[in-house]
Amino acid sequence: MRPVWVLAINTYREVIRDRILYALVLFAFLLIGLSLALGQLSFAEQARISANFGMSAIHLCAVALAVFVGSNLVYKEIEKKTIMTILVRPISRLQFVFGKALGLTMVIITMIFGLACILGLVFYGLGQEVGARFAVVLLGLLGEALVLLGVTILFSMITKPLLVVCFSIGVFLIGHWQGSLEYFAAKDQGGTLKAVSWLVSHLLPNLERLNWKDLVLYADQPLDFASKAAALGNAAAWFAICIWISTLLFMRKDVG
Amino acid sequence: MSLLQVRDLKKSYKRDLFARKNDVLKGVSFSVPAGSITGFLGGNGAGKTTTMRCMLGLDYPDSGTAEFFGAPLSSDSKRRLGFLPERPYFYEHLSGVEFLKFYAHLTSSWKAPVLNDRIAQLLKRVDLTHAKDRPLRSYSKGMLQKIGVAQALIHDPELIILDEPMSGLDPDGRLALSEIILETAKKGTAIFFSSHLLHDMERLCQRLVVLKDGICIYEGETDALLDKSGVELEIYYFEQNERRSLRAQNQEDLQVQLKQLLGRGAAIIEIRRARATLEEIFVKMALRGRNP
Repeated sequence: MRPVWVLAINTYREVIRDRILYALVLFAFLLIGLSLALGQLSFAEQARISANFGMSAIHLCAVALAVFVGSNLVYKEIEKKTIMTILVRPISRLQFVFGKALGLTMVIITMIFGLACILGLVFYGLGQEVGARFAVVLLGLLGEALVLLGVTILFSMITKPLLVVCFSIGVFLIGHWQGSLEYFAAKDQGGTLKAVSWLVSHLLPNLERLNWKDLVLYADQPLDFASKAAALGNAAAWFAICIWISTLLFMRKDVG
Repeated sequence: MSLLQVRDLKKSYKRDLFARKNDVLKGVSFSVPAGSITGFLGGNGAGKTTTMRCMLGLDYPDSGTAEFFGAPLSSDSKRRLGFLPERPYFYEHLSGVEFLKFYAHLTSSWKAPVLNDRIAQLLKRVDLTHAKDRPLRSYSKGMLQKIGVAQALIHDPELIILDEPMSGLDPDGRLALSEIILETAKKGTAIFFSSHLLHDMERLCQRLVVLKDGICIYEGETDALLDKSGVELEIYYFEQNERRSLRAQNQEDLQVQLKQLLGRGAAIIEIRRARATLEEIFVKMALRGRNP
């Protein structure tokens, strides 16, 4: 397990020292700031608008980090040949992929936690509660980022980063629109849309299951821990399966 | 005892789905004995880098085997070898010390004081103590090459494999690296390295493996290869107020030539063994496909 941890720490350091992270964090700050400004425009819904914007900022940043950095995570190592000095050390290809993924996961957790602290202060200033509901929403965002990270690493084993980003954004969009697709499929007279909807729901993750922003927007939403835990378990399974398939593909690859 | 034994390694690549396979390695076999500096020689495209990648499990050979320390490559054998690839790129965000710590921890567990001592020692040896806290992105090519050698040495391996370690270095850098190689070999570490710089190879390597078109065409002592081309004796003498020289093919010829010169009243200054350089032999062997 030590090599995995060493690689994860190195990946964490690499991303933390990269400019892309600061650009994303700046973007999130701007969105949270904008949420305060927009909240001022509304008489009764200031807290709700701020909460919605703030959570969306964290959501977008976590997804962008998983997709944009994840698409280059292994590819850059092969392209720059840094991988050659690593794989000649006592480390397996599974440990390599897992170590890289773990490092980026740690960055995503750090970023979500950091931005959540800022948003928590905003909530506190607006008299909103910062408690279990707030934490559960953040866990949902982390779960979604992990699923997308797994999918992105999987795509990166078969194609180049630009296409990987396109595919992963596709999975993100379809993952959030599966409900709409099912709705239209139910009204479809022919069978095509139904078949497409069935395929999509069985082959791609349903990311709306991890979207729990309503918990902080509407106080009357029930906090059902069992269903949330099941959804998080599902996300972890998606992540694990993607990493496993990625490793199988990576084990067949010439990396020199 | 052989630290590395390569047997009948074959590898072909396809550029795209419909392209024909290009056979890069057509059955490469050689060995690297303990405590030696072995040079890996071959023209561009001969298959040196591919051989190294296949040996080290970075690329998968179509057939053939590579054994390190008498067994197939494993975590244990990886702990006993060091590697520096050609034109290495390293993690630019790390400082020299962080970089060496990273590779040390990847290989085995260390106690902090022991590792710190080892890093300080290595940085001194590769003359990078002054740049130890600078990020690698600010290192010159020569400095990167040196820190690359340091990462290959950090865990004190028994065998070091270097792919074109001299490429792109200025004469000072080459000299420094040569000294590091010789010093490392003196401590009992076997070194296997490829290079285009034949003068350095001739000076550093006790053994040579020569590759041509994916096949090993020579494996053995460097001196034996140089002697294969025939040794001549060169006589330097002084005659009619002029320094002159002539070559004798063998000992008998030398005696005849000396008698004649002394008879003419010439003053003998020096007699030297003259043999073809590795470069001359390599041009014949590898590029023109002739025996020396």
